Amino acid sequence: MQIDPSSHVPIYRQIADCVRAAVAAGVYRPGEALPSLRAMATEIHVNPNTVQRAYDELCREGLIEPQRGRGLFVSQHGAAVARSAAGNGVRRAIDDALRAGRTAGMSAAEVREIFDVALQRLAQEANKPP
Amino acid sequence: MTTSAPSGPAIECIGLTKRFGSTLAVSGLSLKIPRGCTFGLLGPNGAGKSTTIRMLMGMLSITAGRAWVLGTNVQSDPTQVKQRVGYVPETHHIYRWMRVREVIGFCKACFRRWNDQTCREMLELFGLDPEKKVKQLSKGTLTKLALLVAVSHEPEVLLLDEPLSGLDPIAREEFLDGVLRTICDRGQTVLISSHMLDDVRRLADTVGILYEGRLLLEGNLDALLGSTKRITATLRDGCRPKEPPDGTVWQRLQGREWTLTVRDFTAEKFQQVRALEGVEHASAADLGLEELFKDIIRGQRAGQ
Repeated sequence: MQIDPSSHVPIYRQIADCVRAAVAAGVYRPGEALPSLRAMATEIHVNPNTVQRAYDELCREGLIEPQRGRGLFVSQHGAAVARSAAGNGVRRAIDDALRAGRTAGMSAAEVREIFDVALQRLAQEANKPP
Repeated sequence: MTTSAPSGPAIECIGLTKRFGSTLAVSGLSLKIPRGCTFGLLGPNGAGKSTTIRMLMGMLSITAGRAWVLGTNVQSDPTQVKQRVGYVPETHHIYRWMRVREVIGFCKACFRRWNDQTCREMLELFGLDPEKKVKQLSKGTLTKLALLVAVSHEPEVLLLDEPLSGLDPIAREEFLDGVLRTICDRGQTVLISSHMLDDVRRLADTVGILYEGRLLLEGNLDALLGSTKRITATLRDGCRPKEPPDGTVWQRLQGREWTLTVRDFTAEKFQQVRALEGVEHASAADLGLEELFKDIIRGQRAGQ
C-alpha cells in the first residue's frame, strides 16, 4: 500500500481508496480482519488519526464493520461495495484528465478519441500472454 | 498522570516574543495545541521555529508574552517542564565520549520516570549498538538516540526541532516509525518543526506556518488543504488581471496566464474571477502541502 504525501488528494482518502481496491481485488476477503490502526499507521507511516478517519469512512460505506473488541472486518457484501466505490476513484482520475485536456484547448471529440484508444490498448495488454 | 488540569491544552502561548538585539526572532505568537494533537510547525530558515521551541523548553528567556506547557509556566518552572517534555534538539549535545548504554544510564538517572521496556523496544527498532561510542555515530543514529531518550522518560509532550533534516531515507523512516509508535501507543502530543513537508503531511494533523517570527496561519491540515485552491485563468490579449478575490494569498502573471492561490475558496469566488473582464477561461485545482506552503511564503515576500 503506497501513500503519496505530496499529492493534493487527502491522505485519509488515499488510504480509503487503497483499502477499497484491496477488497475489490480480494486481498482482504469478506469476514477477514483489516490491519489494526497501529499496524496500518506504522506500515504506511501515517498518523493513526488519519487511518482512523479512512476506516470511519469505510465503515459508513458498509465496506467494513467493527466486531466488538476484535477490530474491523470486511463485511459480507464488502467486495460489491468496494467495486461500486472504486467508480469514484475512476471518476476523479477522469475529471483530472478532462481538465488537463480542456486547459490544453482540446475538443470533446479529441479527448474521446484518446480515451477510446487507451481503452483498446488496455484491452490488448490484458489479453496478451504473460 | 498529570499534575495540573489534564483537560487543558498541552501547549499554550500568548503574545510570545523573543528579541535578539535589534532582531525580532518571534513576534507576538499566540497558539494553543490540544493534547493528543500532532502539530507541524513550518517556516523557512530563520522564521523563528527553533527559538519558539527553545522558549517552550524553558531554555531561552522570553522577551514578552507568556507560555505554558501542560499548564506549567515555562519561565517560572522550567525544571518541571523538562521532566514532562521529551525534546529532540536540532543539534545534539550528547556527551561524545560516552557509549550509547552510558548515555541511556545517564539520562535514566536524570528523569523522574523511565520506561525500560520502551527503551529496549526503541533500541531494537533503531538497531542501536549499546557499546558504540557517541562520537562514532552518524547524524541519523544520533537523532534516533535522542528520540529514544526523549520517549523513554514517558513525556506528556514531545518537542522535535527539525529532526529530519540531514537524515538518509532509511534513518528518516525509522525515526518516523519511532514517533508514530509513541503516538499510537500513548496518544502522544507532538510538536515537530520541519522543512520536510512530505513527512509533516504524514505525521501532522494540524499545521502552523511561521514567517519572520509571526504565525501566518494555523489549522487542521486537511481542512486547510481542502479550502485552498489554485485558480488558473487565461487572459485575453492586452488584458491585465483585475482585483483578485478575498483570501488571495499569492498571485502571478506570466504572459496570458494569471495564477492565484485562494484561501477559503468558494464557488462564488471562482465565479467572480471567471466573470472578470478580460478573463477568457479559468479552472480551479487542489494543492498539496508544499504548494500551499510555498505560495503563502511567496505571497508574504511579494507583500500581499
